[in-house]
Amino acid sequence: MEKRLFLILLLILSITGGCKKEHPFIKKVAFKGESAIEVHFAGPVDLKWAKDKGNFELYEKPDPDILIPIKDVELSENRLILMIQAYDELNRNQEHIFTLKNIVSDGRDLGTAIVSVKKLYFGIVFNILIAAMLIQNFVFTKYLGLCVFFGTSRRKSTAIGMGITFTIVIVFASMMSWFLYQFVLKPFNLRFLQIIVFIGLVSLSVQAVDTILRKINPALFKAFGVYLVLVIANCIILAVPLILADNEYNAIESFMLAFGAGLGFLIALFLMSSVRERLELANVPPTYRGLPIAFVVAGLFALAFMGFSGMSLF
Amino acid sequence: MDEILKITFRLTISCLLAAFVMGGVFVLTDKAKKHNEHMEFQQTMLGLLGYGKENPPPEDLKLYTIYRYIIFKDRKKYMGYMVPKEGKEGSFHQMIIMDLKGRYIDSVKLDIRQEEALERENREKVLNAALKDFSGFNYADMFIIAEQGGKRVAYLLPGRFPGFKTFIKVMLALDPKFTILGLEIMEHEEDPGLGGEIEQDYFKNQFKDKSLEKVRRLRVIKKPLPEDYKLYLEMKRLAKGIPQDQIQKIRERYRDDDIYAITGATISSRSVTNGVKKMVRNFVYRMGMLDRIIEQQEIEVPFS
Amino acid sequence: MPRRRKSNKELFLNGIFNENPIFRLALSMCPAVGISTTLMNGFLLGIAVLFVQVFSSCTISLIKDYIHPRIRIPTYTLTIATWVTVIDMVLAAYMPAAYKQMGIFVKLIVAFAIITMRLEMFACKNDFVPSFWDGLGMGLGFMFGMMSLGFVRELLGMGKLFGHDILGFRPLLFFVLPAAGFFCVGIIMAVFNYVEIVYKRIRERRWKRGYS
Repeated sequence: MEKRLFLILLLILSITGGCKKEHPFIKKVAFKGESAIEVHFAGPVDLKWAKDKGNFELYEKPDPDILIPIKDVELSENRLILMIQAYDELNRNQEHIFTLKNIVSDGRDLGTAIVSVKKLYFGIVFNILIAAMLIQNFVFTKYLGLCVFFGTSRRKSTAIGMGITFTIVIVFASMMSWFLYQFVLKPFNLRFLQIIVFIGLVSLSVQAVDTILRKINPALFKAFGVYLVLVIANCIILAVPLILADNEYNAIESFMLAFGAGLGFLIALFLMSSVRERLELANVPPTYRGLPIAFVVAGLFALAFMGFSGMSLF
Repeated sequence: MDEILKITFRLTISCLLAAFVMGGVFVLTDKAKKHNEHMEFQQTMLGLLGYGKENPPPEDLKLYTIYRYIIFKDRKKYMGYMVPKEGKEGSFHQMIIMDLKGRYIDSVKLDIRQEEALERENREKVLNAALKDFSGFNYADMFIIAEQGGKRVAYLLPGRFPGFKTFIKVMLALDPKFTILGLEIMEHEEDPGLGGEIEQDYFKNQFKDKSLEKVRRLRVIKKPLPEDYKLYLEMKRLAKGIPQDQIQKIRERYRDDDIYAITGATISSRSVTNGVKKMVRNFVYRMGMLDRIIEQQEIEVPFS
Repeated sequence: MPRRRKSNKELFLNGIFNENPIFRLALSMCPAVGISTTLMNGFLLGIAVLFVQVFSSCTISLIKDYIHPRIRIPTYTLTIATWVTVIDMVLAAYMPAAYKQMGIFVKLIVAFAIITMRLEMFACKNDFVPSFWDGLGMGLGFMFGMMSLGFVRELLGMGKLFGHDILGFRPLLFFVLPAAGFFCVGIIMAVFNYVEIVYKRIRERRWKRGYS
């Protein structure tokens, strides 16, 4: 059931994301390569019209007065695909506005189209998820949540339990924080109350999840309930709302950030616990036993995770 | 029931007390915060122009801040430049509005002094009243024209662009021919020792003396910084003297080189280089438009 | 036999050595690993935590009789959050450059387990003056920990201290990286462990000698 919902959500996102089409004749507009834009038309366009560079205007959305010079225009054989090549690299992280004046197709003037070119929204959102999970993993790259991390990473079972509980609470708390931030704190200029409000929400979320779990699934509660209290002491749970307030994310982005943070924490815990279980059987010198060696291991993991830095999938 | 009431009562009192304390501190520190920001801004500007504690700015140095706004009317966009002016009763501003192609549209008088205009809220208030014919406006950015003895000596551009971690805020100084006079990194959250090295002289000062032509094509090269160039760049910090003729030679030799990347921080180096490139390109275009319209429309401005 | 009440001096030293928050109690390690890249950072965050700890301990010890047992934790959280917001605003206003370096960590002080723990274990059961000394000791212990980390990392990583060049070259830039934070804390913990083991051994020997 959940899987189906998720797929439907994905479908909706991928459709609504991407390019806004404000002209029925234009099927798709997207960045191509480092310095080009590709346009797909619903029908063939005239070669003469396409070859005239003056029919096209391209600018970055925040700088509408600065037109990006176009080097070349290429039209495909079937005259359905147009490629605009710019001199310099285009900043694909920035939304561009592309104007096609008086599109001529088979002699007919189809009017002017102004389309927005940007990376698939789905890509941006997915990027946030991957970033929170791997590239900017909250434990190994941002060093948050360490206290709880070292405390619960001794056994795989505790680690997984803590990770899942944490993910649930953080998504819950973050969405509420986003809501309160957008509709209460910002409009009333109460930004300095951020800290108190967020941590209040965290306590509330923990309490809420606690009660809900108790009622719905007592068995689950027995397994995970004890970790709920520890969640409050976790730095990450406060960091995520602070970050999404700072960056002014919208609802979907906030959800992705929280979900990614939770998953990242789970992955970190899982990896750590796997290693520590083995360490228990190894011959560790007495001064290093327990926490010191755990820290050294964490350091090695942090080094490994550094390999993800600078990665960008979309 | 009684218990719960007592608890709620006590909690509410504590919350109110806490809010009171925080609110009080907020009011006290907000002013200091704004003042600090303003001071830092001023100091950076003067530093870029070559003035500082040991070398105070001369009396005839004047700084004029121009604010750029994007103004909407129905579905069309216009560019508005808020220019300072001097009048008999004191300073005020004029919003010069042009369309996206640079054609003059209108001028609107804004009754706001230079000191008041520093605060964004004050500007918005005045603009809301003055731009009633339009559907809305958005603040874009600002730049500063530095004048001395009645001539333009420099342009100062504060700018912000994404870096490796989050945003990097810089202040760029250009001479009247748009050659870079200097670059200051104002804010960043890059890793210390790696991306954080963009604050160091050996990176920042590479941008000095780069002409407009060079900046338009500026790239980052991943080669080690030559020793003599490094000495020259860090001259001030190391307080090492280099003979005059050598300074000239090194300057000439490296003036048209691209930017040498910081070891282990290619992405940060690229972000700064691309950011500066874009800032200069956009500014030169816009300044040209503004100057042209001021000349055409014979608008009186305090800067030449 | 009732437990001897520790003198104020003992409380104070306790916070720095025996129950050092970072290295012994293993609490609040997040900033230890992340922000201890330079001595100045460690110093500033240490001051911030000291402030919050002392003020919170004192506040709680003053109102401990009015706290209803069922709302203990929210009350602690409220107090800590208030003082954290205060120090956050003060730092942002008067030391903006340093504040930016610390990023999100000043706001996160509210989540530090150490402060809540201390309030729970000490401040709510003791009077104002002992609480003050305990808070001071803990805060200073934290600062000491942060500064020693910052010292090692800045010196070995950048060859500088407080921004001034000491060595003139950079021994191992690695120490500036977050991974090194983990390593350093682990090693210093091991050192503390070692000291404790040696200390115990000496005490045992003395004790045995005392009997024979």
